Amino acid sequence: MRARLLNRADVLKIVDLLRAQGHEVLAPFCGRGRDTFFDTVTDANRDEIQIHLPNPYYPPKRYVLPHIERLLKVQRANGDWKIEPTFDEPKRAIFGLRSCDVAGIWHLDRFYLGRDFRDTYYDRRRKNLFLVNVVCTDPERDISDECFCLCADTGPAARDHFDLQLMDLRDGEFMAVAGTSAGEAMFAEPIFKKATAAHVEKRRAILDEVRKRFKNTTSWFPATVRYVSQGKILDKTWEEIGNRCLECGGCTYVCPACTCFTVSDRQVGPNEIERVRIWDACALQGFTRMAGGHNPRKAVHDRRNRRFFRKLAHYFIQRELSVACMGCGRCAAVCHGDVGMPSVVEMIRRATAETEKTNDQ
Amino acid sequence: MPSATDNIYLPKPAVLDRVVDEIHEVKTFYWHFEDAEEQRKFRNFRPGQFAQVSLFGTGEFPASLPPSPTEAETFFTIRTVGSCTAALHALKPGEKFAVRGPYGNGFPMEDYFGKNLVFVAGGIGLIPLRSCIIYALAHRQNFKSIQIFLGARTPRDLMYRDNLRDWEQSAGVECHLTVDRAAEGWTGNVGVVGSLFKKPGVQVPIDNTVAFVCGPPIMFRFVIKDLLAMGFPERSIVSTLERYMKCGVGKCGHCCIGVAYVCVDGPVFTYEQIKKLGEDI
Ligand SMILES: Cc1cc2nc3c(=O)[nH]c(=O)nc-3n(C[C@H](O)[C@H](O)[C@H](O)COP(=O)(O)OP(=O)(O)OC[C@H]3O[C@@H](n4cnc5c(N)ncnc54)[C@H](O)[C@@H]3O)c2cc1C
Ligand code: SF4
Ligand code: FES
Repeated sequence: MRARLLNRADVLKIVDLLRAQGHEVLAPFCGRGRDTFFDTVTDANRDEIQIHLPNPYYPPKRYVLPHIERLLKVQRANGDWKIEPTFDEPKRAIFGLRSCDVAGIWHLDRFYLGRDFRDTYYDRRRKNLFLVNVVCTDPERDISDECFCLCADTGPAARDHFDLQLMDLRDGEFMAVAGTSAGEAMFAEPIFKKATAAHVEKRRAILDEVRKRFKNTTSWFPATVRYVSQGKILDKTWEEIGNRCLECGGCTYVCPACTCFTVSDRQVGPNEIERVRIWDACALQGFTRMAGGHNPRKAVHDRRNRRFFRKLAHYFIQRELSVACMGCGRCAAVCHGDVGMPSVVEMIRRATAETEKTNDQ
Repeated sequence: MPSATDNIYLPKPAVLDRVVDEIHEVKTFYWHFEDAEEQRKFRNFRPGQFAQVSLFGTGEFPASLPPSPTEAETFFTIRTVGSCTAALHALKPGEKFAVRGPYGNGFPMEDYFGKNLVFVAGGIGLIPLRSCIIYALAHRQNFKSIQIFLGARTPRDLMYRDNLRDWEQSAGVECHLTVDRAAEGWTGNVGVVGSLFKKPGVQVPIDNTVAFVCGPPIMFRFVIKDLLAMGFPERSIVSTLERYMKCGVGKCGHCCIGVAYVCVDGPVFTYEQIKKLGEDI
């Protein structure tokens, strides 16, 4: 393992280094109560950066896929269209990214950059992004009731897809692991010291202990994926899930792995138009509405299910070689109808297992 | 296939050359790319593929490519139904818009070499099938029998009249027309398109045959029922699916149906595949 040791007091120096290299650094901060958020680090707020805190609901996904993003600027002159792609690709680093969100960005990489078409806009932004993962080790602060990264196999310590990983070894020491050569290059800085076998052992022991502190340890992902892929879920179950959905779109908004967007043209001047893309949600009415008003997915449970079907069907997992759920628990925390991913998995498992049992008898 | 550096959302300027009336609210738009190199690249399209058409300020919409790659001209045939299609209908020859593509899988015409072809189209379902028919006729020696069954609401709803005349008169192809409601002067068949299969003298081969079916959902359902009853295997029936599309390149999620992204996995699917998508079409 390309691992080093550093003092607690030096952890934020990584932020300073990244800023000195010209990165805009995004880091987590605490607002009031449970409210936490990612924001740009400035000289003024630098000391308020939090290492241990509940993961912000508003995911860092927006740094690779902005909420609203301009794709083209189009100008009209003498009957001609001047079409100009507009790229926004700042040199950025996210500091304090949780392991579930590291996996989330990796999933987006697989999706937007994979298969026949590479998303140019995503690609350019992603190439300029440096990821500093912080492992969740504080059961009181880092881990919430909804977290289920253990079941999604994304945490508490990401195994890869970060540039640099930091883990609190307690007693004022942190372990740093490099995931890329860019991350490893940071080890040239004098704040990093050699790690010993004892430190590696300590890291393992802490992780073992932390794993026991998750409340949500038994999710039934594999079984649910099997049921969904084999079409074993009863209409009744899908309807029950659908009936509890209020169609607020909140789950897709907070999800680090949801990818859908819509595209729209807007007039910005007498002869100028912008084409923008905007986050969209398959759970909303109108998502599949076709010209003339025909909507193949009318009932709310059709749409509600769409999101879970997309995330749990084996076909899509194979397609991206990555599950579109990271176990971050955000949708469970924000859903008014308690149909976040953990409840849905549980509802499906219970209903389907019961039917299977009856059928076996 | 685009290269890794191509901007997949960037449409290229196109010029409208001329407009031809087809039927009520449907026109054919002949156009070319401003840039000759773009035009050359685009002309590699296959029957059954589609393009994304930009009317700046209004939006972008998917349109099939009714021409066959064996023809010289490039065109769309569009029914005006909403904002974007209306904006295209409002364009005058010489005016500009923008296009990107071609997208989608298209029909694997080469795989059908040596087979009988049966084309069944209802209404504007003929738009995507026109490309295959012209292609098949241009490669006539590679196929066995070719039959076309066309349905329209009234005689005035029959499109591509010049082509229809050719197909009716040409020796290498059998072409049957029908309308739901006859009008004065119509001496042809009246009834749904499936009724043509039972017309005296019509012999639809089942073995070693591919049936292309495109049309409105209701027609699709009935024709599929007829074909299956006649003994067609599900995998020998091919169609194109239509979905609300935003990107055309498998990213926006709008066209997803069951396990497929219609824009990249389709729009061409066999009936066997359609049944396995895991969602009603
Ligand atoms: C593969 C494929 C091939 C096709 N080929 C043809 C063809 O050859 N000829 C043909 O006539 N038609 C074809 N169609 C259908 C054609 O694409 C539609 O008729 C067309 O998209 C209608 O666009 P419109 O703007 O005129 O309609 P509208 O009803 O105005 O709706 C579509 C547009 O309006 C806006 N819009 C409307 N509703 C929403 C919403 N809920 N959310 C966000 N935006 C919205 C969007 O900008 C959208 O692009 C094809 C469709 C597909 C999928
Ligand atoms: S589906 Fe829910 S738990 Fe899974 S990644 Fe998305 S928000 Fe997190
Ligand atoms: S149209 Fe965007 S994914 Fe198919």
